[in-house]
Amino acid sequence: MNLIQKARMKSPWILHFNAGSCNGCDIEILSCLTPVYDIERFGAVNVGNPKHADVLLVTGPVNRRNERVLRNLYDQMLDPKIVVAVGTCASSGGVFQNCYNCMGGVDKVIPVDVYVPGCAAKPETIIEGLILGLEKLAKMPSKPKKGAQPAEART
Amino acid sequence: MRDLLIPILVLSPMAGGALALILRGRAARSALVALSAAALVFAAVALASNGLMRYTPGPLTTIDWNRVVLAADVVLLGWFLALAWTRRHPGAFSLALLQAVGFAFLEIRYGERLRVTQGFVVDWLAIAMVLLVSILGSAIALYAIPYMDEHERHHPGVPSRQPRFFALILVFLGAMNGLALSNNLYWTYLFWEITTLCCVLLIAHDGTAEAVASSNRALWMNLVGGCAFLAAILMLAHAQPIGEAMAIDRLVGGPTPYLVPVALLCLAGFTKSAQLPFQGWLLGAMVAPTPVSALLHSSTMVKAGVYLVIRCAPAMQDTGLTNVVALAGAFTFVATAMVAISQRNAKRVLAYSTISNLGLIIACAGLNTAMAVSAAVMLLLFHAVSKALLFLAAGAIEQRIGSREIERMEGLVLRMPWTTALTVLGVLTMLLPPFGVLVSKWAALESAAREPAAMVLFVLGSAFTVLFWVRWIGRLMAVEPGREPEMTEQMPALFRWTMGSVAALAVLLSLLVTQVMQRFVAPVVASYLQVGSEGFRATVADLESRIGSFPVLGLALSLLIAVALAVILASGRRAPTVPYLCGEPPAEGAELAPLGPGDRPAPVRVSGTYLERFFAEERHAAWMTVGGVLLTAAMLGVAAL
Amino acid sequence: MSTPEIAIRLFAAVLLAPIAGMLLVGLDRRISARLQGRVGPPVTQPFYDLVKLLAKQGDTTSRFQTACLALYLASNVVSLAMVFLGQDLLVMLFVVAFGAVAYIVGGFSAKSPYSQLGTQREMLQLLTYEPLLIFLAVGIYLRTGSFLAADVLRLERPLLPELPVFALTLVVVYCIKLRKSPFDIAASAHHGHQEVVRGPLSEVAGPSLALVELAHWYELPLLLSIAALLWATPLWAGVLLGLACLLASIVVDNVAARLTWSWMLRFGWAVAVPASIANLLYLYATRGGGS
Repeated sequence: MNLIQKARMKSPWILHFNAGSCNGCDIEILSCLTPVYDIERFGAVNVGNPKHADVLLVTGPVNRRNERVLRNLYDQMLDPKIVVAVGTCASSGGVFQNCYNCMGGVDKVIPVDVYVPGCAAKPETIIEGLILGLEKLAKMPSKPKKGAQPAEART
Repeated sequence: MRDLLIPILVLSPMAGGALALILRGRAARSALVALSAAALVFAAVALASNGLMRYTPGPLTTIDWNRVVLAADVVLLGWFLALAWTRRHPGAFSLALLQAVGFAFLEIRYGERLRVTQGFVVDWLAIAMVLLVSILGSAIALYAIPYMDEHERHHPGVPSRQPRFFALILVFLGAMNGLALSNNLYWTYLFWEITTLCCVLLIAHDGTAEAVASSNRALWMNLVGGCAFLAAILMLAHAQPIGEAMAIDRLVGGPTPYLVPVALLCLAGFTKSAQLPFQGWLLGAMVAPTPVSALLHSSTMVKAGVYLVIRCAPAMQDTGLTNVVALAGAFTFVATAMVAISQRNAKRVLAYSTISNLGLIIACAGLNTAMAVSAAVMLLLFHAVSKALLFLAAGAIEQRIGSREIERMEGLVLRMPWTTALTVLGVLTMLLPPFGVLVSKWAALESAAREPAAMVLFVLGSAFTVLFWVRWIGRLMAVEPGREPEMTEQMPALFRWTMGSVAALAVLLSLLVTQVMQRFVAPVVASYLQVGSEGFRATVADLESRIGSFPVLGLALSLLIAVALAVILASGRRAPTVPYLCGEPPAEGAELAPLGPGDRPAPVRVSGTYLERFFAEERHAAWMTVGGVLLTAAMLGVAAL
Repeated sequence: MSTPEIAIRLFAAVLLAPIAGMLLVGLDRRISARLQGRVGPPVTQPFYDLVKLLAKQGDTTSRFQTACLALYLASNVVSLAMVFLGQDLLVMLFVVAFGAVAYIVGGFSAKSPYSQLGTQREMLQLLTYEPLLIFLAVGIYLRTGSFLAADVLRLERPLLPELPVFALTLVVVYCIKLRKSPFDIAASAHHGHQEVVRGPLSEVAGPSLALVELAHWYELPLLLSIAALLWATPLWAGVLLGLACLLASIVVDNVAARLTWSWMLRFGWAVAVPASIANLLYLYATRGGGS
């Protein structure tokens, strides 16, 4: 593992976006920062700005109102970046599946790298999902490939 | 040839001005301005390379020059009276009358004592001043040619007053040179009053009610200074029996028994330099076309006041007077810098900053140590160049966007990239190391470190200064993320050349600050300040004194490397982006407007901070005026005791 | 000063000091975490943050702001080198101000609400701490008779007993410059806290943000060495004094709430500035040492 890969593993700055979640998963994400779980041990910081973030944690099924926000946030993040869908709703739409106003999961809008199950997702699972994502992040190329197309969302 | 230099410097622009009134065509006028400019620059450089000299003009055929001066004085005072009368301004009229009576009394009672034998003495301070007036003045006069054409397009229907305008500008340049070079108060007084007249007439150029009101204020305040000047001459004529009573080099050769006249001269300097409580006229003067503000109200005429105070510094060595002068200057420095924070009008910010810097110069002259006086002279030079640049840029901006409001200049770099770049450069030369103004401020602060009151005021004033400069350039540079300025801009060729050369001069002069110090400043201080130098001197790379050192060369090199580094780092590829608005993408076609309720664009407004809650003019006007009046009164009182 | 000595000092300032600064930033985060009952990141965390930021692709920061931040970094390097070389303290503070101005102009150049608002606050912070630092330099001058940092090292007695107020105002300066509560109004340092997104840095991303991180590595040793001037003989005591000020600011950060900019301005100009002046007046009154 070279230095850049190691640095990416050890310094994940997280942006958290609630795309219509019931707040259950959001509470669990925040609890990861508290003394009990303390993910800052791994260098993870909760930032408020997509331009600084490496990891996008999304909760909720994504509705038609915040779809453009989610896409915009994703676009504002610099490469390399990963998206972690936290909780059942974010992963598949959950109980909101097929609702008229819901997209039915984060991967309908932007590419998702890790799906964290649970309603609400447990902090331990969120941390594990984050670490799985980081392994993927570290392996991303350190220079953008010429002519590479951005990954398309699954629809 | 040598003997022709001073007549060229003083009389040729005046002749050019007179011709400009007669030859009313645009081409002829432009040619006259260009010719006068060339003559001035040439003569000033020749004077500088010639070095120290003395010169007294021989009689003009059979007429004694003193007669000419007398006649000119009479005409001038008559003009003031007529001006005040036609404008129905009783205050100005009574001040003009007072001067006329005083002058008549002077001529009748002491006429023979006023005959000047020693006309002009050229020392390095005078040379520095002449260079400033001639080079900057020429650049600004040339800039004014396209400016005034555009200015008249903005005021259609008014008959062209350009001949009068350029005549006044040129006459003013000659008078300024005369003021700087003349070695006797009697002649200086004439030049002093000519500059006042030019100033008053130029402020009223546009003829609007506001312009006339401002002009009236400038008239009466400067007449107060004229009265003080005349009173000083009267007292000296009364006190000294010999004919050379008026010789400046005698008066200020060292500590003098004639303190009250010196205090009166300082008072005159205060009015000319718009020190508190006389700040009002300079702020009003900003209604004038911008070349006037650049020439008279920042780089040259207002410098006449501080020039006089610097000249007087040796005479008040080790007296209570010098302390009060220092305090008054420092008070103006801090108070006006503070109020400048609340100003939304760019020209008013520049005006307040000018007053503030003049206050600092006066404070340094009042501190009266070698280092402090050196700081004063350096500040006089560097401030003039940078401020001229800023005013020229402000003028160009105003003509393009039709406003002087800083808020209207938001993101100007997209529309006027070159002018903005020059403005930012001008501000940086006013504000940051290793540029000359800051070097002077450093010297000022270190020389003030033993004087508690001056030191505290200097420190606080400097802190305020940063704020209003940074805010202004911040507004100019504000651009939505994702947009890059393109460096193309249409402007008249003369704008480009004059602004470019003044900018180059500002940078070059700053880089050569040690040379400036060695060539112009140190000899001045050594020649007429009879105090130890505190070891303050310039080496090749540093300015140093016994208590500190300013590594000019080292910092200039560091800056060069840093800028190169910055350019390299900034030259990398940039990805497109939009500003962060809580995640909402900006609405189509509007950069700073996210979609709000009902999916309609909700524009976000950003604006500068003016802290009116703390620094509004009205809040502070009263104590500033009271403080100014008290300090001025204290100055005269201390001198009289 | 001989040429090799200058080279050694420059080496220390440009290459060694930032390493110490990096560890101090890491230590700061760790101590804060401990005060909050957490474990916190390893002390080398800032290093990994820097490498990661440098490796980010597709920088979106405007060219002008990147250039400004580069100048900010350069001014921190130069001012630290000036202290190490024993140069004039006032000039050194002007160079620090240069960096602050570059940082602020860079923030203003990004027209987004958070960047503008944060930068306005940053500007007011400059207005608050700048006089405090200059007063400190004047205070040092009044006892040493010189503005040169080198002359402080020649003193036989520490300055602190005669300049006690300045140790306190330095803690205020630390809190402001290190973006700590109650003065973290423009942009908070990393962990947990946020204010107006990230203030002047809201539109700064990737490698450009790395410049800021790097600049902080120089800023901390700079602030420590300013404190060290107050107890320059022996120098280690001065370093301890600096660390004590740093620790004090970390504690203040963790026990204080964020306050408004107007509170900061009032506190600075109604409490800290008069206190500094009072200390200076004492020095003027008892004009003992010096020339």
